[in-house]
Amino acid sequence: MRNLDPVDVAVVGQSLTAAAREMGAKLVRSAYSTVVREARDASAAIVDARGNTVAQAELIPIQLGSIGETLRPCLARFPAETLEDGDILVNNDPYQGGQHLQDVFIFSPIFVEGRVIAFAASVAHHLDLGGGAAGLNNSASDLYQEGIVIPPSRFNLPRDWNGGPFERFLAANVRVPAQTIGDFNAQLAANRVGAARVAELARRHGAATVTAVMDAMLDYAERRVRAAIAALPDGRYEGEDWLDDDGVGEEPVRVHVAITKAGETLDIDYAGTAPQVARNINAPFASTVSATLSCLKLVLTGPDVPFNEGAKRPITIRAPLGSLLNPRHPAPVRARMEPCYRAFGALMQALGKAAPERVMAAGYDTTTAIALSRLGPAGWQVHLDIHGGGWGARADGDGEDGIAGPLGNCANTPAEVVDAEYGYFRIAEYGLRPGSAGAGCHRGGTGLRRVFQMTEDNVGFALYADRFKLAPRGLAGGVDGWPARCFVERDGTTIPFRSKAAMTLRRGDRLVLETAGGAGHGPATARSNEAIFHDVEEGLVGDG
Amino acid sequence: MRVGVEVGGTFTDLVAIDGGTVRVAKVPSVPRRPDEGAFQALQAGKLDLGAIKDLVHGSTVGTNAVLERKGARVAFLTTAGFRDLLFLQRHDRRNIYDLAYRKPTPVVRRRDCYEVPERMLADGTAERPFDAAAFERDVIPRLKAAGYEAVSVCLLNAYANPAHEEAVRDLVRRHLPGASITISSDVTREFREYERASTTTLAAYLQPVIAGYLARFEDTLGRHGFKGRFSVMQSNGGRLPAEGMRRNAITSLFSGPAAGVMGAARQAGLSGYANLITFDMGGTSTDVCLVENGRPSLAAETDIDGLPVRLPVLDIVTVGAGGGSIIWCDEGGMLRVGPESAGADPGPACYGRGGRRPTITDAHVARGTIRPDALLGGNLRIDAAAAASALAPIAEAFGLSPEDMADSALRVAEANIVRAIQLVTTERARDPRDFVLVPFGGAGPLHAAKVAADLGVGTIVVPPNAGVISAYGLIASDFVHYDTMTRRIALDDGAPAAVAEVFRAMRDGARARFEALGLARSACYTFALQMRFVGQAFELPVEVDAERAERLTVAELAELFGKVHESIFFHGAGTGRPIEIVAYRLGIVAPQTDVPALTEGGGDAGRTGDFALYDNRERQTGRLMARGALAHGVALAGPALLEDPTATVYVPRGWTARHDSHDNLVMTRG
Repeated sequence: MRNLDPVDVAVVGQSLTAAAREMGAKLVRSAYSTVVREARDASAAIVDARGNTVAQAELIPIQLGSIGETLRPCLARFPAETLEDGDILVNNDPYQGGQHLQDVFIFSPIFVEGRVIAFAASVAHHLDLGGGAAGLNNSASDLYQEGIVIPPSRFNLPRDWNGGPFERFLAANVRVPAQTIGDFNAQLAANRVGAARVAELARRHGAATVTAVMDAMLDYAERRVRAAIAALPDGRYEGEDWLDDDGVGEEPVRVHVAITKAGETLDIDYAGTAPQVARNINAPFASTVSATLSCLKLVLTGPDVPFNEGAKRPITIRAPLGSLLNPRHPAPVRARMEPCYRAFGALMQALGKAAPERVMAAGYDTTTAIALSRLGPAGWQVHLDIHGGGWGARADGDGEDGIAGPLGNCANTPAEVVDAEYGYFRIAEYGLRPGSAGAGCHRGGTGLRRVFQMTEDNVGFALYADRFKLAPRGLAGGVDGWPARCFVERDGTTIPFRSKAAMTLRRGDRLVLETAGGAGHGPATARSNEAIFHDVEEGLVGDG
Repeated sequence: MRVGVEVGGTFTDLVAIDGGTVRVAKVPSVPRRPDEGAFQALQAGKLDLGAIKDLVHGSTVGTNAVLERKGARVAFLTTAGFRDLLFLQRHDRRNIYDLAYRKPTPVVRRRDCYEVPERMLADGTAERPFDAAAFERDVIPRLKAAGYEAVSVCLLNAYANPAHEEAVRDLVRRHLPGASITISSDVTREFREYERASTTTLAAYLQPVIAGYLARFEDTLGRHGFKGRFSVMQSNGGRLPAEGMRRNAITSLFSGPAAGVMGAARQAGLSGYANLITFDMGGTSTDVCLVENGRPSLAAETDIDGLPVRLPVLDIVTVGAGGGSIIWCDEGGMLRVGPESAGADPGPACYGRGGRRPTITDAHVARGTIRPDALLGGNLRIDAAAAASALAPIAEAFGLSPEDMADSALRVAEANIVRAIQLVTTERARDPRDFVLVPFGGAGPLHAAKVAADLGVGTIVVPPNAGVISAYGLIASDFVHYDTMTRRIALDDGAPAAVAEVFRAMRDGARARFEALGLARSACYTFALQMRFVGQAFELPVEVDAERAERLTVAELAELFGKVHESIFFHGAGTGRPIEIVAYRLGIVAPQTDVPALTEGGGDAGRTGDFALYDNRERQTGRLMARGALAHGVALAGPALLEDPTATVYVPRGWTARHDSHDNLVMTRG
């Protein structure tokens, strides 16, 4: 380790990781919107002066490895050495390294003796950032209808925030400004926490040691990922997965991947993936990179290996420009999680050919987002919940029941919180969905069922999800899980929805969501009697 | 005579104080029958049970019952439509990169969960009234048929109005007279249904276990002539008379670490130290806690085996750094210490019981800070050669001498502890330099000086008999009970009156509870408001003086909250954003006024001599002596080792140690 004392590497390295974790925890705990404070759709990191993420808070996988992608376009325009005290760099442009517009990245330079030695970075999903509908505009046909674009920009806090032009401009263009500005403040504060911790480390250990340890951390992650890759057999492995449709037509949409493993390197090529689509189910390239790295980390290295920019060095990721996973500007991208999950699925399938004992069968694997919004006399109220489902089974165990998706980690919003804060709907039922899991030697996890009862008229409902038509597929002889469905019960009739939908609901409507069950692994005939009896007695099979 | 008996995982400790005489004992625990270990400790201390005036007990009975799933057979009752509440949980994951992730396993089975026909709303009105007839027809027969020992009831929004829960309780009690019934509004009146249901169900699960254990314990005590007061330690740092515990079994979880903090706080307080960082290092882990003005800080929630427990507990942070923590090199070449531990069996390599992997204890042996003839909780002989050979491979991998390897590993372990302390200080807007460090447990005093130096702390206070301070903490603790409830109040002109009303209701309820236990005479109160900006999801505790709880002003509350928010989150003060009060925590305390002091006792002056050690990359010669042999007021300059039968204190070069008049060993730099 470049003559660094192993104690310095361990101590400073873990302190940097602790700083990122503290930033993330405080961002979540002081945030206003449910999507940050309950769903934890946010992240925080310490990034080196060249834009390499060194340490990242483990809040949500889909932000893995993409923070640096958004800083580098900022630095190209505003080099670190030109920055001044109070400056921040901001970027949410999906075509400049960002994900979707709602994810706003903020970077604060950390000065030590007048020089930028690192950046404190935070990103949060902002519940509403303008655009054609509250929270979620499923009918957007380009980026401009999804919200306001903040290209890589430099602002100065004393000048532009706290009543300054950037804050006023932002507040004037969003539907719930108190919430959005509150969440920006939480991000800025998280950055201040990170900057204070790194500056203190530099004071104690010297800036040169801190920057040398940052380099060592990148090298360390690279070594561990190379070792994990080397353990796979050399070869080319292909996988594919399909989206139900593009949100307009009926045809399934394909994601294809080919992995080429040679020595300590991986080449991931999404050639063969469908062209970009007209609606918001496109993944900007940064999201594709995050989904890919998350899957690799889950399958290859497990929890112990820190994933920073160094981990990416032995991995190349490509997707054809103009495809679903690397669309051309200005394609809409709001629901980018759905193609990301299919990239995850295709990759899982391909990795299963190289290391069958380490992968899982397909699970519900979608972001199932429901937005319920209403314009009342006091302004807009927007509620957004991301729903869990059943995970796929593995060679060594059942999939978990009713849990957040592998690329996300959203907590549910308690029914009592909904009751206390929203007057226009209630959660009337919430439970597991017995029978939805795919059978197998190891069964999949069961999906969820949730019923929302409308208590007012004129409630805007929007949904994006997937796996309504195409069920999670079983692996090694395991049975498919049940697909998801969503419908509204009104006046004794049932109105079914497709997986991307919107409608105005009225008082008395019961909105029912049932998420998919995970698929099984191995033949059901190989399942132990004990496990079968357990599931029967617990009412998890059949209709419960 | 006052006696504290603390049953831990490995050892059962006893402290008995009679006038000026202090007796300590340490015996191996009996894992399956903790009460046997406790009585063995009483015998080892050669105590006459008839002479004990005050006996306080702490044990891992509750904790073990949960970890081993050996609690009561429980039925869970909740609002119609929400039967799966305990299985859904919050549906997130603690570890986001684990394909084999499993949610924490509830203590009830799904087949034992039932729905109650009712639905309360957040404002306390019923959307659907409780249908008692349907409940009696559909649910009661199934409960009777299954023969449950305990029933847990958590209905939606019962924190706002417990009427439905109470009606369900009365019906169940009538039909199942033998079962113990726990309703959520009795345990914690806070919102967020999963956390409340989890707490209530754990309480129901433990109630029969703890009640049975205490009944057996009291019975045995009675047969041996015990006539004194018997009380039990809680995780909130206070004790309750055993009869009070029968309604509060769940507060007995994690009482051991809490007892240590209370003992350390009481003993350091005798010397006038009120602002402390306590640091309890044992065989597998280290617990740290912040004490301000003599009062340990409280957390609103903890968990056991991943299951939330929404009750005030001492805010103790635990890291996997103990004497048995394994020293290793990961596949990326990083030096790591813990969290894996060699435990008590086989234990560190130097115990000579088959351990091969190097541990923190082995590193101490290799560099000389644990002596081959040290007294480690009994008759263990230290095998220095085994420690050296366990360290050799990793030393070679890093290209270091065995002594340098030991030194490096200890520094990494100490950095892990420093980070735990930063969690309770820096991250909560406290400057560690404003505190003294109070180390205890078998290994705490060995590491305290290095940890203090890293944090910039200048003073260390090592209590006497530092290895059994938890047992002393039992004797030293006050009688304490907390009530919590959620009621949202906007911080406007109506707020002070509403807060005063809540305070009076909570105070009167707590006083009635203490009156029933005969404790109300000298009771005093603590009061904290859980506040947040409107729109936030997490509250911050704002402590207010209970004397003034009925006379608070809006401006005062806004300022108090703004300050707390700003100090922790780096934003929020003076923004004028709307604020709300969400929940309340009222504590009732019956203080113990005549707590005897712990003392060190004499030491064998014959052990005094020089010893060789390696620290700070150099060989040094230090002074070795029995701790009890260091006379009051005599300054001992490091390097030095002070040993007593319960712990070893390491005074590095640059530090000076002296015993003060309370037998606290005060270490200062320079």
